[in-house]
Amino acid sequence: MSLIRQIWVLLFATLALAFLGSVTVNVDSSRESLQTQLRLKNSDNATALAMVLSQQQGDADSMALLMSAQFDTGYYQRVRFTGTDGQVKFDRAVSASPVQAPAWFVRWVGLDSTPGTAQVSDGWRALGSVEVQSHAAFAHDELWLASKRSAAALAAVGALSALLVFWGIGQLRRPLDAAVEQARALERGEYVTIIEPGTPELRRLTRAMNSMVTRLKLVFEGQASQVETLRRQANCDRLTGLSNRVHFLGQLSTALQREDGAIHGGLVILRVLDLAEVNRTLGHVATDQMLVAIGRVLQTYTQRGDGCLVGRLNGADFALGLPVGAMAEETAQAIAGALRAALPAFGPNIGVAIGAVEVSRAMLMAELMNAADMALARAETRGPFAVEIEGQVPAVSAGLGEAAWRQHIKGAITAGRLELGEVPLLSVANQLIHVECPVRLQLEPDGPFEVAARWLPLAVRGRLTTDIDIAAIGVALNHIADDGQPRCINVASASLADIEFLPRLASLLAGAAREARHLWIEVSEGAAMNQFSRVRELGRQLRSTGVRLGLEHAGERLSRIERLFDAGLDFVKLDIAVTMGVAADANRAAFIRGVVAMLHSVSIQVYAEGVGNAADANVLEQCGIDGSAGPWVRAAQAGLPA
Amino acid sequence: MAYSPTFAWDSERMLAAAAKLGPRALASVRELQPLLTVAMDFDDVGRLAAVNQFFNRRILFAEDAQIWNQTDYWASPLELLSKGAGDCEDYVIAKYFSLLVTGVPNARLRLVYVRLQIGGPRGVVQPHMVLAYYAAPNSEPLILDNLLNDIKPASRRIDLVPVFSFNGEGLWQGVDGPAVPDSIARLSKWREVLAKARAEGFQ
Repeated sequence: MSLIRQIWVLLFATLALAFLGSVTVNVDSSRESLQTQLRLKNSDNATALAMVLSQQQGDADSMALLMSAQFDTGYYQRVRFTGTDGQVKFDRAVSASPVQAPAWFVRWVGLDSTPGTAQVSDGWRALGSVEVQSHAAFAHDELWLASKRSAAALAAVGALSALLVFWGIGQLRRPLDAAVEQARALERGEYVTIIEPGTPELRRLTRAMNSMVTRLKLVFEGQASQVETLRRQANCDRLTGLSNRVHFLGQLSTALQREDGAIHGGLVILRVLDLAEVNRTLGHVATDQMLVAIGRVLQTYTQRGDGCLVGRLNGADFALGLPVGAMAEETAQAIAGALRAALPAFGPNIGVAIGAVEVSRAMLMAELMNAADMALARAETRGPFAVEIEGQVPAVSAGLGEAAWRQHIKGAITAGRLELGEVPLLSVANQLIHVECPVRLQLEPDGPFEVAARWLPLAVRGRLTTDIDIAAIGVALNHIADDGQPRCINVASASLADIEFLPRLASLLAGAAREARHLWIEVSEGAAMNQFSRVRELGRQLRSTGVRLGLEHAGERLSRIERLFDAGLDFVKLDIAVTMGVAADANRAAFIRGVVAMLHSVSIQVYAEGVGNAADANVLEQCGIDGSAGPWVRAAQAGLPA
Repeated sequence: MAYSPTFAWDSERMLAAAAKLGPRALASVRELQPLLTVAMDFDDVGRLAAVNQFFNRRILFAEDAQIWNQTDYWASPLELLSKGAGDCEDYVIAKYFSLLVTGVPNARLRLVYVRLQIGGPRGVVQPHMVLAYYAAPNSEPLILDNLLNDIKPASRRIDLVPVFSFNGEGLWQGVDGPAVPDSIARLSKWREVLAKARAEGFQ
C-alpha cells in the first residue's frame, strides 16, 4: 500500500473511531441523565398522587377515579395501588412503543423507568402504597432524536477534519510526488533537479537527490567533453578543425546513399596554389594562419544550413558539400570573391583554384571525385581565383510544379499508397531489436514506390511531413498487430516542429496501446540539437505509452547536445559516417568507445548504422555497441536459420 | 414492590463521622451506640421507648433559623446530636434512623406531616411532624412526638390531624450509591437526609 494511502486509512480509521466513540459516549450520558430524570419524575409523581389519594378519606371509587385520571392524561406505563394487605387494588398499564426511535435503538440503549412509590393513608390509617411508572417511550424518542442530532454534528465535524486532512495530505504529497518523480526520472536516465520542499525530512532527501543528480551531470559532461576530444582526433584536421579526408568522404558518400538524402547537391573543391612555395616565403606560422582563415570562410556555409559538409582533404585541398542542386557555381564564385579579398592580408601571391561539381544521387563517389579533379585542374590552369564547373545544372522539380507535387503526395497518403521498407536492426547476439522502416510513397497510381529522397524536400516545403509520418506510424502499428515485430519509424524534423504532430500521435497511440509497446520512434541528431525542447516533450509524451524514442544518424554533434541526458532517450544510432571503416581507424574506435560509455552511463542503448563488413562489426562489438544495422547485418541475417 | 433492605449500622463509620462534626457529636454517639446495641434485643415497643427517650431528653427544641440560619433545614441524626438542638423533623429523622438500625422494619414506620392544634379546637393551628409506628399494616399507630415524652396511640392524640405520611420505602434505591448521589437526586430534602444518614453509618 502506498504511503499516502496508508496515511489515509490511518486517518479515516482514527476519525471513524473518534466518531463512534463520541456518539457512544454522548448516547450513554444522555441515557444516564434521562434515566435519572425518569426516576425522579416517577418518584415525585407517586408522592403527589399519594398526597391527593390520602385526602379521599379512603373512598376507593374516588381514589380509582383519580388514579385513572392521572394515568389517562399523563405519560404512564403503569399506575398501581397496593393495599396494606399486599393485594393489588388498582392496576392500569399500557405498553406503548416509541414513535420515532427504531427497535434496535431501544434494545441497544434500554432505558429503565424505575417506578416511584409513595404511601397512601386515611388519617392515621395506612391504606397502602401507590406505584407510578412513567413510560420510557418518549424518553427513547427524545434520546433517539438527540443522538441523531449529535451524530450529525459529529459527522459534520468529522467531515470538516477530513477536508482539513485532505488539504494537509495534498500539501505533504506534492513534494513527495516530486521526489518520487525525480527518482523515476533517474531510473529512466533523465537527470532533473527539483525545488527543495519545506518539510525538513523531504528537504534532506531532495537535497541529497539533487546533489547526486548534479554530480552525475558533471560526470556526464566530463565524459561528453572527452568524447568530443576523441571525435576531433578521429575526424578532424588538427589545424583547421574541419573534417579530415576520410571523414569528409564518408559523410559525402553517406549523403549520396541515404534514402532521405538530397537528390541533387553540389561539391566545391578548393586548392591553395603552390602551397610549398607559399610556405617557404611566408613561413610556417603565417601559412597555418592563412589555412585556418580559409577553413573559417568555408565553415560559414555549415552554419548557414543543415546538411553542408566541410573538410580539408589534404594539405592544400579543401572541400565543401552542398545539400541542394544548382548552387555549386554560385557558391564557388562567392568563396572565390571572399578569398580574393581576404588572402592578400597574409602575403602576396597567394591564390586558390576552385572546382565545382553538380552532384546527383546517381553518381558514384569515384565519378564524383573524378569530375571534381577535372574542374579543379581546369581552374588551376586559369590562374588564381578561377572557378570551373562540371556537370549539368538539374532541371527544376523534374517538370512538375509545387502544387502538382503536393497533390501527388497527398493522394498517396489518402489512398494509402505508402509502403514501409524493412531494414533489420540486430543485437550483438543476432536477436532482432527492431525493423527500421523507411517510408516509400507511390506518388502516382501504378507508379513505383519512391524513396524519401525523391519527395521529402517537397513534402517539407508543402508541410506534409506530419501527415506522412502519422500515416507511416499507423501502418507500422498495423504491421505490429499482424506479426508482433518491433518497428522503428523515422519522424522528420519538420513534423517535430509542427504543433499538430504530438496530439495526433497521442490519439493514434491511444487507440493501439498494446502495439505501441513495440513501436520505436527516431528523430535525427540535428532535430535533437535544434529542437531539443520538442524532442524532450515527445519523450515525455511517449514515456507512458511504452514507445521508445531515439536519435538516428548521430555521432557528429552528439557531445554538443546540451542536457542530452535529460532528453528521455532510449537509444542512439551512430551514423554510417562514424562507423564506416572503424576497423582500420584506432582513433575512430576510441571515439565510438567513448560515446558508448557516455550513453550507457545514462541508460541509452547505442546502435551502429550501415555496418558494411565483418571487421567493422567486430570492432564495433568490442566498443560495446548494443546492436547494428547495415549490409553486413542483412547478409548475416540471411545466413541465419529461418 | 416495596424495597425493604435489612438495616444495620457501622459503628466505625458513625464514630468517624461524629468526630468530624465535633466533640459534642462524638460524646453523644458514644452514648447512643450502647443504647442502640441494647435496644436490638428489645421488642419494638421497648425500642420505641428507648430511642424516643434518648432524643427527647438530649435534644433541645429550637427553630432551624436559630441553629442553621436557614428557614427549613433537615438535619441528619449526627448533625442533630452535634448541635444538641433541632426542630420537629430533626427529631423524627433521628428517631426513624435509630429505630431502623435497632431492627424495626421500615414498613412499620411513617414520618407523618400533621396539623397540631394548640389549646383545643379553637386554638392555634401549627404544622408539625411526628413519627408513627404501625404494629400491623391496618392497626392504629403509636405516635413518637418531641413535644411529649410519652408514646401514645394515635386515637389519644386528638390534637394531631395527619395530613401526609411517607417513609424510605422505595426511596433507598435512589440513595444506595456511595456518599455522593447524583446532583438532581439531592434536590429533595428527604433524599438528601437519607444519603447523609447512610454516610453516617445508618445503613
